[in-house]
Amino acid sequence: MNYVKDMREKLNIEYVKSELIKTAYGGKETFLASLHPRTLIIWYLFFGIVPWFIHNKIVLSCFLVLMVVLTIMARVSPLIIVILCAGLLGEIGFLLLVSLVFGGGLASLLPMFWLTVKLAVIALASIAVFTSMDPERFSDALLSFGVPGQASFSVSFGYRILPTLVEEFQRVFLSYRLRGKAPETHGIFYWRTASYYLKLLVLSFYPLILNSAKRSRTTVEALETKGFSYSFTNAEVKKMKLAHLTYTYKDPLFLIGTVAYISFAFWLGTFIS
Amino acid sequence: MAKREVFQLTQSQKMMVFILSMSLYGLSNMFTELIPSLQLGPVELSVEYFAFIPLTLCILFHPLYAAIGASLGEIIFGELMLGQFGGIGEIEKFITFSLGMYIAGILVRNPLNRMQVGVAVMSGLIVHHLLGMIVDIGKVWVGVEELEAVKGLAESIIVIEGVAFLNDLLFSGILFALLPTLYLVPRLYGKIEPLLGMKPRNKDDRYTMKEIVTPRFVVIGIVLSAIAIIAEFLSETEFSFGEWEPDFMEMFGDWFIWIVIGVAAVIAVITIALMARKNRTQRSKLNNVA
Repeated sequence: MNYVKDMREKLNIEYVKSELIKTAYGGKETFLASLHPRTLIIWYLFFGIVPWFIHNKIVLSCFLVLMVVLTIMARVSPLIIVILCAGLLGEIGFLLLVSLVFGGGLASLLPMFWLTVKLAVIALASIAVFTSMDPERFSDALLSFGVPGQASFSVSFGYRILPTLVEEFQRVFLSYRLRGKAPETHGIFYWRTASYYLKLLVLSFYPLILNSAKRSRTTVEALETKGFSYSFTNAEVKKMKLAHLTYTYKDPLFLIGTVAYISFAFWLGTFIS
Repeated sequence: MAKREVFQLTQSQKMMVFILSMSLYGLSNMFTELIPSLQLGPVELSVEYFAFIPLTLCILFHPLYAAIGASLGEIIFGELMLGQFGGIGEIEKFITFSLGMYIAGILVRNPLNRMQVGVAVMSGLIVHHLLGMIVDIGKVWVGVEELEAVKGLAESIIVIEGVAFLNDLLFSGILFALLPTLYLVPRLYGKIEPLLGMKPRNKDDRYTMKEIVTPRFVVIGIVLSAIAIIAEFLSETEFSFGEWEPDFMEMFGDWFIWIVIGVAAVIAVITIALMARKNRTQRSKLNNVA
């Protein structure tokens, strides 16, 4: 019971908010964070696609080990790991349940397990890369790949505006709760309470939409006074903006190391089977 | 004179719509990611997303910018920040979701007509979920090697996806897309536009054919035909369920879906770039006038 209480205390909105802000701004002294964001994105493109097409179990296991090591090195927030594990286990468990109903039996457990490994490799790769990248650096990396300025701007804008938005949402939500009347009984499976809160959640967006509209106008106007949309089309400005991204000796080292590890994994995979 | 009636926004107004849609939908996405779902046997009652936000904005403003903004907001807030970024898989979601929202937006001519809004919302959702379901099934097909060897696995995946489709459409779709949109659109219409410094969308406003046929139309056409190819590919494999030839899988299945998705994504990116350039030239024309 204490455990449940502990979990409930941890999973309130304040905790989530602070965890997210920590993810966005903290822990920048890790090895992955010191790499050039372009290197990380190229590295990630490999591990985001290739595992889907690998059916060799040894190779997959090698990949998983690498990802776990990198995730530990990136010092990822426990909340994110819990969300990931819950998602993976839930999906696989449900698939298994249904395939048992269809008479698949436990035989379907093994292929599903390897699919889980695959998904875990891909998810861990993205977690390791994207949590160790500063939003500023990530948006600059996108810009350097030629992504339109609006899109790369919105990444760093999103990270910055989030605390304000969450706070404002909380205020609106609480004022709705103050004015409204919560149901006296919970109903079966708490459905009364749940539907009450969900309704409030939806209603809270009405003032929020209006407020955000005002804010987005202010934002765009402020940006335009600084020549925002002009600077995106100007090559000179882009060069200046991206000047702080530099390659160090770590970048080729990291890529060469990964390539060596992958070749080793494939060699091991063919050697054993 | 007729040209005046065309619904047009300036570059900064488009950016405002984009930012608005991105931040709001992104925020809602963080909540829906954290709301637990209720499992009733095989039916999962979950709050998939608050689609009413992009839908409302697509109907009230420029559908394309609101749709793309919402998809991007989902990726940034709901995936990147929570560390759930699926990487390449997100491209497919990006395309299908933007397409669905966009279709819902262009179907509405008069935001005060409830019937029109309702039909538009449901058709946008159907487009999005149907495409998503097809791609999901395809993914498991590619990812699981011994799919044909294990009895019941293939059927169960189709059943799960079918149930998820119906759940998304009937539970989430009606409760969190249709009803709130019907509530919000008439209330916000005429109120929110002045806040962004623009006129409300008029009943007589329309998109010129020229505007519809250019890049956007091409993308939609190509994406739809790509999906059609995938669908065909899937239906073909379904018929030969019992005697699945493994080499067919090897030479076709592995890369085929990804190539189709990749082509669609590349075209979408090119189009966005083209449109950005178009806006740029429009802006420089304006500058010349000034």
